[in-house]
Amino acid sequence: MTMLYHGEPNGPSLSVLAALYESGLAIETQPIDLLAGERHALPDVTDSAALDYAVEGEGPVLVVDGEAMSEAVFLAQYFDEATGGCGLQPSDPYARWQMLMWCRQATERLSPAVAYLGNLAWSQKRLAAMSPAEFDKLANTIVSEDQRKRWQDLRDDVVDAAKVEDSKTKVAQFAARVEAQLADGRAWLMGPFSIADLETFAWLRSMRELEADAFAGQARCLAWMARVEARPSVQKALARATADTPARAFAPGPEINRWG
Amino acid sequence: MADVTLYHWEPNANSGKPMLALAEKGVPFDSHYIDMLQFDQHKPEYLAVNPQGTIPAMIHGDRVLTESTAIMEYVDDAFPGPDLMPADPRDRWRVRWWMKFMDQWLGPSFSMIGWCTFVGPSLAHKPEEEREAMIARIPLPERRAAWRKAMFAEFSESELAESRRRIAQGVGMLEEELGKREFVASNQYSLADINIFNSTYMLPVGNADLCGPQITPNIWRWLKAVYRRPAVQQTWAMGSGRFTDRFNAIMGEFVA
Ligand SMILES: N[C@@H](CCC(=O)N[C@@H](CS)C(=O)NCC(=O)O)C(=O)O
Repeated sequence: MTMLYHGEPNGPSLSVLAALYESGLAIETQPIDLLAGERHALPDVTDSAALDYAVEGEGPVLVVDGEAMSEAVFLAQYFDEATGGCGLQPSDPYARWQMLMWCRQATERLSPAVAYLGNLAWSQKRLAAMSPAEFDKLANTIVSEDQRKRWQDLRDDVVDAAKVEDSKTKVAQFAARVEAQLADGRAWLMGPFSIADLETFAWLRSMRELEADAFAGQARCLAWMARVEARPSVQKALARATADTPARAFAPGPEINRWG
Repeated sequence: MADVTLYHWEPNANSGKPMLALAEKGVPFDSHYIDMLQFDQHKPEYLAVNPQGTIPAMIHGDRVLTESTAIMEYVDDAFPGPDLMPADPRDRWRVRWWMKFMDQWLGPSFSMIGWCTFVGPSLAHKPEEEREAMIARIPLPERRAAWRKAMFAEFSESELAESRRRIAQGVGMLEEELGKREFVASNQYSLADINIFNSTYMLPVGNADLCGPQITPNIWRWLKAVYRRPAVQQTWAMGSGRFTDRFNAIMGEFVA
């Protein structure tokens, strides 16, 4: 049995759904409510290590023969490789290294920043509104202690002003980085379309509302975002939304680098 | 002169990854030892190679590559020799998953403890102005902050406790993983083993309470299997022995 459990099409759930549709693989998908903790109570999971300890936090989970698989970029690579190559990653070793480096920057710098800002803006209130019993029940299903702490901090509205500032800076830097990458007139970040486009777009998309200033004057970046959004795979992923504004759907994500 | 040049410190953690990957592939390379404790990585000669001032970095032809795990993937893709990635897509996914788990979750905890107990104290004898001047030359703000903490012993008890918690947790997970498969992430020796071995071989020396033949039999079996590989021996011979000697002494009894 294979099933992709995903949240609203935003962040990692958006990039993984779009990658799946790019690949054309016939994998069943099932929406779950990440902020209700549903990811931690999936049926038929016999090996949950990658679900419990995903560095990316509350991202989508692909369950294959009972094994839970996580991490958006790696799931996209998995889809690409399971089809024997569907154009999501370059085959030239150096171009591949460049794409991996880009994706690492996105997952290490951009996604923790976006998740921090997005959760505080749009998910804090819902968690705070839960009754203690309801929240404890949810928290008890979260295996990873540090992940559970990020949920608790969000519920308690623990805000680190330095992290907020740093996150805003990182979002702006990433938009500028995309702009610079596109300066030679290329259509996609790595030249040919790739996972880097999906991953970066999926995390930046929600920031157009929350961090509008980051995109001011970044015309190439905005045009590129419109191009990615227009792809049939992305449209199909966005059509999986059950909320009116999926770009506001967040649940505790990757932690901001604690050392090094 | 070889087509590949590697700038590295000891065969350990991030530097050890590309060293061992190149050795496993049988790719000859010119070795440039960067002494991290002498701050060679912030000298102009090295900043000309990698402006970020971090090690390792690799030059292949006219290309400069950084980021140890990504360099290993490149090495595996770009050169002939034994495959260091399994063929099955799910195994490949698992290799990547474990490498990210090490690079971003468990590794930083090892690193924090190492910097607190070894790297920082080894520079503590230097006068304050000299340490400040060393910090001022570091290009990346994150690394400046890290060095400041290490040199001036500014780690908080709670962050050290959290790192120790993660190490214990991570070792437990690795033990469980190696109970499922012969190697980390698949039944084939891969980049995941290279990555994780480089950050865990010191466990029986530094964390004998967490890792040893009795408490973690699966890790122990795996450490022995990896340790016996000729590429590991060849790579370790390139170091000063400052990390590997003590592990060699322990393993000598077990691996005849
Ligand atoms: N993520 C990078 C990290 C590189 C890195 O930070 N290396 C450390 C040594 S393990 C370093 O260069 N430290 C010296 C410094 O920051 O001055 C990689 O895996 O290559």
